[in-house]
Amino acid sequence: MAAAIETKQLTKTYKSKSRNLTVVDKLDLHVEEGEIFGFLGPNGAGKTTTIKMLLSIIEATSGEGYILGKELGDFDVHKLISYVPERPYYYEYMTGLEILKFYGSLFGISDVAHMQNLLERVGLADARNTNKTINQYSKGMQQRIGLAQALLNDPKLLFLDEPTGGLDPIAHREIRDLILGFREEGRTVFISSHELSEVELICDRVAIINHGVIVAQGKLTDLLAGGRVEILVGKLDRGVFSDMKIEDGNIHDTPAGVLFDVPEGSDVNAIIDGARAKGGQVVSIVPRKKRLEDLFVEAVRNK
Amino acid sequence: MKPVIAIAKATVGEAIRRRVLLIILFIAVLLLLVAPLLGVLSARQEQTVLTGFVLGIVQLSSAVIAITLTVYMLPNEVERRTIYTILSKPVQRWQFLIGKYLGAVSALAIMMGLMAVVSVLEFGVFHQDWAKGISLLQAYGMFFVQMSLLASVAICLSTFVAPLVNFFLTGGIYLIGTLGYAFFDSFNKNPNSPALGKGLAFVVSSILPNFASYNVQNPLINPETTIQNPTMYAINAVLYGVFYIMIMLIIGMLMFDRKEV
Repeated sequence: MAAAIETKQLTKTYKSKSRNLTVVDKLDLHVEEGEIFGFLGPNGAGKTTTIKMLLSIIEATSGEGYILGKELGDFDVHKLISYVPERPYYYEYMTGLEILKFYGSLFGISDVAHMQNLLERVGLADARNTNKTINQYSKGMQQRIGLAQALLNDPKLLFLDEPTGGLDPIAHREIRDLILGFREEGRTVFISSHELSEVELICDRVAIINHGVIVAQGKLTDLLAGGRVEILVGKLDRGVFSDMKIEDGNIHDTPAGVLFDVPEGSDVNAIIDGARAKGGQVVSIVPRKKRLEDLFVEAVRNK
Repeated sequence: MKPVIAIAKATVGEAIRRRVLLIILFIAVLLLLVAPLLGVLSARQEQTVLTGFVLGIVQLSSAVIAITLTVYMLPNEVERRTIYTILSKPVQRWQFLIGKYLGAVSALAIMMGLMAVVSVLEFGVFHQDWAKGISLLQAYGMFFVQMSLLASVAICLSTFVAPLVNFFLTGGIYLIGTLGYAFFDSFNKNPNSPALGKGLAFVVSSILPNFASYNVQNPLINPETTIQNPTMYAINAVLYGVFYIMIMLIIGMLMFDRKEV
């Protein structure tokens, strides 16, 4: 599949008199066309700087990058992409439709029917014919306007910065459904977010950036492989199992009994049989799938 | 050109709703309305004092509006991140800057236009001297060029100077450019002035915009002071303004193009 975004050793260094600060360091990103890609990282990791470079708002210090096959800085790319910033601000005196007219005019688009369709699509059908200005909109409505303006030029690639940040659960779900709809339409979506549970639900692949360096990148299913199984055995204590060896596993005493924490795929039956042979009673067997949060914390801490 | 016009229109819409500008405008209009009361304080002809006062109010408040309007324009767009949404569209940085400038100048024109209408009505209605009121429009035209020039200086500086510094810097340039030229002129004509001082005065007066060219209060207050060819004078002043504005905007565009936003 062709790459929607490809960067090679992309670096951004801010130079000042006293020191040079490398915010993004030799970034190698690969985002395939038609996928939802999650770009994760703690605050100050370099996410926004990366997005600004990809949008050609700032220039990279070194390295190269391609958006939809065109080199970074190619002005024509701007006709094919869109961006919704975190906590977007729009000219407050404008109505929803006026916002779309304004952004439309930057593309030379003046089709009001198209704009009204977009308002309807993002769930702002009521805003089409009202004089309600943007400062009277809720946070969720402003986010929807952001998505509507981002769809004006029928983009192939959308950059969404914290698209669900600060929204209530219902708005969360609605925005999530819209984003999933973009993938159905064949668009590529690049999401920068802290909302790991959200990313886990909708992204095909992710990259985790920390201190400007990519610490993990790949398919979510691959990255999250390697879960654990927890077996709780009552009526015994850890000492009984002192001679038992489990590869990559741990045995802990808990108030409810002995807890076996073993890798997914271990011989669980053998552990259960061994525990029962020693008079133990199996209380529970809980498979623990690896979560994005675990991966994120692991990746960021290891760095 | 469409993006430039769209950005200019949005800028006007925002500027004419900015509370701080509306307060300045309100005070200016209020002062214009109470101006006739001040005539009785002077022994000179009432209308002469009134003319000077009215022109002074319009010029001073326009300068404050022009500076306040433009120094925060670009920094606000960066702080609120609207600039990122706009620059991610097919909009060049120079188009953004020119759009913002044209929007600022248009908003300034609207506000100055309102003050002009109030002052013309004041002369026409209260003093039954419509001719005098209308004659002020020429002065306002010159003021408008002056303020457009001032706005271009502020917007140019805003590409590399913090807003507060820009406010005082642009204000300082305006004061020197308005009042300093007479000083530089007399300094240069004085045979006792040191050569180094003369050279310095020449350099400063060559770099800074000559805002004094647009101050037409004196001929209006003192009709005996005449300009030989007022039309040529006005054309020269406007051309000088346009030329200087272009220089400021080109410098601004070059700086803004390299700016890390």
